[in-house]
Amino acid sequence: MSDKDTVGGSIMEDAALTVEQFCTVIAVEQEWLVRHVEEGLFTVSGTSVTEWRFSSADLRRAERMRMLERNFDAAPELAALFADLQEEMDELRARLRRAGLG
Amino acid sequence: MEFKDYYQALGVPRKAPVEEIKKAYRKLARKYHPDVSKEKDAETRMKEVNEAYAVLSDPEKRAAYDQVGKGYQPGQDFRPPPDWDSGFEFSGRGMSGAEASDFSDFFSELFGRMGAGRRAAHARGGDHLARVSLDITDAFTGSTRQVSLRAPKMDANGRVTLDTRTLNVKIPKGIREGQIIRLAGQGDPGLGEGKPGDLLLEVHFSEHPRYRVGGRDLLVTLPVAPWEAALGAVVPVELPDGTLKIRIPAGAQSGRQLRVRGRGIPANPPGDLLLEIRVVLPDASSPKARELYETMARDLAFDPRADSEV
Repeated sequence: MSDKDTVGGSIMEDAALTVEQFCTVIAVEQEWLVRHVEEGLFTVSGTSVTEWRFSSADLRRAERMRMLERNFDAAPELAALFADLQEEMDELRARLRRAGLG
Repeated sequence: MEFKDYYQALGVPRKAPVEEIKKAYRKLARKYHPDVSKEKDAETRMKEVNEAYAVLSDPEKRAAYDQVGKGYQPGQDFRPPPDWDSGFEFSGRGMSGAEASDFSDFFSELFGRMGAGRRAAHARGGDHLARVSLDITDAFTGSTRQVSLRAPKMDANGRVTLDTRTLNVKIPKGIREGQIIRLAGQGDPGLGEGKPGDLLLEVHFSEHPRYRVGGRDLLVTLPVAPWEAALGAVVPVELPDGTLKIRIPAGAQSGRQLRVRGRGIPANPPGDLLLEIRVVLPDASSPKARELYETMARDLAFDPRADSEV
């Protein structure tokens, strides 16, 4: 592979994914995302759907919640609680790693 | 390509009703979930179990799998007959590129048509997400990394196959854990005159023996000699982008953290460098070292447990 095959990219802001991008890359229906945001299961800034922006952490959260709803028939609120706990666990594990204990 | 026995993966008979398949999946998902499992091959097994469940829990995919898999044994070389899937309509549930890339070539060969045929004649190609593991040092110096991506790709007949492609990607200096690098036009090809989508690379750092990151901050353990900690010293610290001289304040104790502002990940704004002091004792194996320790013990009247007495 030569240098001319090298591609450069730009760093996106932390929360920069639009609703359309979000739904495309993890293959969820827009209706699913809108419903979950309106029920307070995702935190977003912006008042209208076109203004909503999401981060990579939101992608991970959506994948986890959708897996639980799809494969375990979990209620969205339960899936969100499980995602909260997994995020808490991720944070604690990251703290252990930063302390050299992970 | 090896035939995969999805019934065997879930431990259910071929005539198992949906409820039994669901129950078996949930039991195995608990056993192999990578967050909690103690099994050494948990991640691999979880992927197999997820793939088997994606097929057997979907009536269309299960029916097609049952038809084409008649007479095959697990591991046997498998070639699907041409047009074997005519008569099946895989309207099924959506699956992301990241999920599909976890699944086997066998799955891709069988269910490659899913998701095709719903786009307009001149539609823009879809954006595609991939998660990449980088070295922490890439964030300090920028670099060019070869990234291999396994992504669904649609061929001329509308069949989606898993395509492996390799890209040389310029990693911008200042990238942080969890950030996304957008590569314009490197996603799925557009249809007709539609433009291609973008490739979104979600960045994660692999573990490094010396460096850890917390957001924008770089964390480094700094071993120091007892006299450097007690008397103060200026010591060199190797960082990903060069060497930095650090002043250790006199009386520094093991575990104390020194913060050097602006010397973490060179983002905008830059993070801080956090140095955790670890006092390392010379061993007392030589007569001279032993003598020095004995002198300290005799002359310093030092009680390290003075504050811990009840």
